[in-house]
Amino acid sequence: MHTHTNDTAAISNGHGLVGGNSVGTSAGGSVGAGGGRGGVGAGGSTEGKIRCIFLSEFDATAGCKISCQVPDNYISKDVFDAINVYIIPKQHLQRCILTVNAMDVKIVGYPVGIQDQQKYVRNAFLFNLCFVCDSRARSVQYEPVVKKLSEYLIMMEEESCFLSREDDKRRLQNIFETVLRDLNERKVATIVEGDNTIHLKIVMHKPDPPPVKDHMVPLLLANLRDAPLDNWDLTTQQILPYINGINHVARIAAEADVETDLVKSCIQNLVYYGVVQLLPILKYSNVYMTQNLKHLIQSSALSGACRKYVALRPDKTLPSVQRIFQFYASMTHGVTLRAICQRLSPHQNNIDERRMVIFGLQHRFIRCIHKYPVFTGSVPSGRQKMYTGLISFDEICCKTGLSPSTIERDIEKDTNVTVIWK
Amino acid sequence: MEANVNPLAVILVYFDSKGDRLLYRYPYQTLGQTEVASEEQRKSRKRNPFAVAHMDDLLQAPTQVQGQLQGFADEVLLALFAVKPQLCNQKFELKLNDVRFVSHPTLIPYKEQRAGAVANPSSTTAAAKKQEMLINIVFALHAQASYSIVKCYHELSKRLGLALKFEEQRCGYLTEQMAQMARTYDEQQQQPLERTLELIAERCSLAQALRSIFHDLCTTGLLSTSLNDNLTLCFCLPAKAHQLHKKGSTVDPETIDRCLRALKPYHGMLLLVDFAELLDCVPPTGARMLWQLVDSYNPLISLQSMASNADLSIEHVYKLVSHLVYWAKATIIYPLCETNVYVIAPDAPLHTKSHLVEKFSARFAGMSLFEVISDFSLPTSIGHLTTPLQQPARQGILAQMVIWMLQHHLLMQLHTYVQFMPSEDEFGDSASCSNQLRGAASDDEDADEDEREHDPGGSMLSMSSQPLPVPTVSIGGHRRDVSEDQSSVASDNIVVQPSSSHKSNFSITASMSTDNCDSLDSMEDEQKLKELLHVFGEADRAAIRRIPASANVDDLSLLVKLYQMGYFKSEHHLEEIMYFENLRRSQLLQLLDKFRDVLIIYETEDPAIASMYNTK
Repeated sequence: MHTHTNDTAAISNGHGLVGGNSVGTSAGGSVGAGGGRGGVGAGGSTEGKIRCIFLSEFDATAGCKISCQVPDNYISKDVFDAINVYIIPKQHLQRCILTVNAMDVKIVGYPVGIQDQQKYVRNAFLFNLCFVCDSRARSVQYEPVVKKLSEYLIMMEEESCFLSREDDKRRLQNIFETVLRDLNERKVATIVEGDNTIHLKIVMHKPDPPPVKDHMVPLLLANLRDAPLDNWDLTTQQILPYINGINHVARIAAEADVETDLVKSCIQNLVYYGVVQLLPILKYSNVYMTQNLKHLIQSSALSGACRKYVALRPDKTLPSVQRIFQFYASMTHGVTLRAICQRLSPHQNNIDERRMVIFGLQHRFIRCIHKYPVFTGSVPSGRQKMYTGLISFDEICCKTGLSPSTIERDIEKDTNVTVIWK
Repeated sequence: MEANVNPLAVILVYFDSKGDRLLYRYPYQTLGQTEVASEEQRKSRKRNPFAVAHMDDLLQAPTQVQGQLQGFADEVLLALFAVKPQLCNQKFELKLNDVRFVSHPTLIPYKEQRAGAVANPSSTTAAAKKQEMLINIVFALHAQASYSIVKCYHELSKRLGLALKFEEQRCGYLTEQMAQMARTYDEQQQQPLERTLELIAERCSLAQALRSIFHDLCTTGLLSTSLNDNLTLCFCLPAKAHQLHKKGSTVDPETIDRCLRALKPYHGMLLLVDFAELLDCVPPTGARMLWQLVDSYNPLISLQSMASNADLSIEHVYKLVSHLVYWAKATIIYPLCETNVYVIAPDAPLHTKSHLVEKFSARFAGMSLFEVISDFSLPTSIGHLTTPLQQPARQGILAQMVIWMLQHHLLMQLHTYVQFMPSEDEFGDSASCSNQLRGAASDDEDADEDEREHDPGGSMLSMSSQPLPVPTVSIGGHRRDVSEDQSSVASDNIVVQPSSSHKSNFSITASMSTDNCDSLDSMEDEQKLKELLHVFGEADRAAIRRIPASANVDDLSLLVKLYQMGYFKSEHHLEEIMYFENLRRSQLLQLLDKFRDVLIIYETEDPAIASMYNTK
């Protein structure tokens, strides 16, 4: 029994690079909230809910049938007859995650066969626990859950014939109802059935976040600021206070007195869970470029949030949308933040230009135009080796530990170096 | 990511009343070529520490060791893909551990043996015993393949099914091929399976076709296969095809569709390949229209002009261009001209190891890509980079280089957008406050407005900012001041006072300048101005009236026209406004300059075209 509880930790920690249970329930909830923003990569498929859970078994006389289904009759007899080959498949495919998507339903199953000559009429008991989704929905995240729940059912069947005894279907029905409701609402479900406690958790399968570098600045997303600290692992707890949207990774490592690689792993983990977003380091010599700025005007919710966020002193009158728009609109190639501030004097308009840049980057109204020195001579030496066009100016500064002006002078002097902004 | 696009295998399953059979699959297990490719793939997987964790956690034991389909016996596959008739003629998708199978099982009626069948099919098929066979062409993919990739493969399977159905109906092609494959199996029962499959590929043209389809999908993503030397099947896997021009990019059909839906007559087309390479994306029968278009192809002109030069309708041109873009043969640009402003694309693969560096210096002798492109670090137009003193040839070369860089997605065009937004300079910060308050405490003001709207005469009077030579109007002007005072009280704003006096100052000078004019004429103008201003809301109207140019009927009417057409909502760039409203650039720029106090002008990329770039 105990091993299974450990198993939960392993599943809930599907991405745990830091070790320990880095993500508590609060973070689990936030993943769903952040999914809308980052979920573009799915390419047309949607994060769907579980529509139905059923148990299918091979009856000695009636053949394949659905013995328990929640909600009732979601999978009609016609549909089941067409696809039952994939629900109770041949022996080779037992204990494989098998997903079939046809007739407008997507069924994730884990076919199982238990051999026992004494207990069962045909010397084996075949069954399959299936989750049903919409045919366009993604279902990868349910696979470990289906497998785990099936393993429990196997164990319970072997111990007490939980499934094969006819009168037990009522209890199974209750389990399914709880699982369906809780997983859809909270992505976590805990079921107590007899001596067993079953913990289930849906872990979203997301693409790997890009590696974190020294010069990047992590920004905590607002909704998690108030989450209790002790849900996180120890290292994350240690660095979390230094994540403020201004400090870059190397500085966080220094201030929190944590090894840089550990900090990077932690932050990468936080990025994976959509808790943290990585921004370029904020400098007044930075150049920004607008993109999709019209969303700021078109969505009044967004412009309201923006006015609140960028206000220098929230107790005073909030800055007008016009002002903010004008500020963003003046960002373009070749215009530094310093020049914009000199021209538009944000402080007089109760605008905090730093928060303004952060808001713009966070909501992708603006993007930072990075500077890349490129060595065009024949044989690079010393620092020139870094001028490949792949390493940005910020990164070079961070790596060499030199001030931007030193590097700037260095590049200026060198006729073999061209600078590209993109 | 890239590897996910490639198919793992293609499987042909056949099923009829006499039984089912896995007739062909490719690749056979012992194939050197795939081994090399997969070795590479496995290495790349190892390099990424995350990937390993994922494999273990979520995807159980990998069944596709070394990029091949393993662990499944043919009998197992056969049982899975000889689907029930209910599942036919629709999408069928099956995921087994980390392999995803996608297909479109197709029911195909046997060709009638009697001669009359073709001439009068409906009566004979009804009379004859209905016999059908099922053909299922299954593609095995990586489980991580995205939804849109799966959709493309489904489409391919569907088309193959349709093509085979057609060929079966025409000359019984399928029956013959099936028989031959089955015969080969029976003959070669003692031989190893690989040998049999090879023999089948030697004997049967359908197997050859499937094999070449698999290879094309793995290499270019573009295929043009002829079935039975009769029917040409053209298909493009955009996720793969677009990588040829831009490594590492994943362009899914949805993105392309979004770009193409935004296609306008003023857009232009830029071919990415040579003319010779264009033809493989269309069946020979459809080539005529394409040639017609390509004959008049020029990246300097719009689709509209191309259409008229080629004597095609614009809808046809859209269709052709869409096709070329989907097939990664062309891209959408704004026609190249001197005033176009370009910058380096955010995802431009510019680094010292890039193959583009050499390609560029080979194409333009002695030029360095970095030096040329660094000019575009700041938004720059071709006009800017050339001076009239230079030889005209230099400009031509520059244009060529810009085209080259556009073809390689190194440059991106910036457009100027306009947002109507009175800046309320005079009001300063409190303007926003007044806006806010207005929402709460504007009952009396609203009533005021209502009254004005119901009574046109009154509204005309109260609206007039400029005193007219007629004595009654001075009262109107006075009333106006009062009403403004009211609003300023309502909005708790004392700064309004000086501004309104400033305005009346201005209006006096204006009235003085028009003093000599015919009073009737100016009356008409006045009325017209007022009507025009009516379009705007209360606050906006005041802001516009502060601008001197608002006294000019022509300027104001143009502004109002463009405003009403919705051009000042950041949705349309200058070129679009120029095109649809038939304006010259100088005309439009002058207008924007005159009304710059209420307009915010900024540069950004055309979202339709930018969606094809990976903007970070």
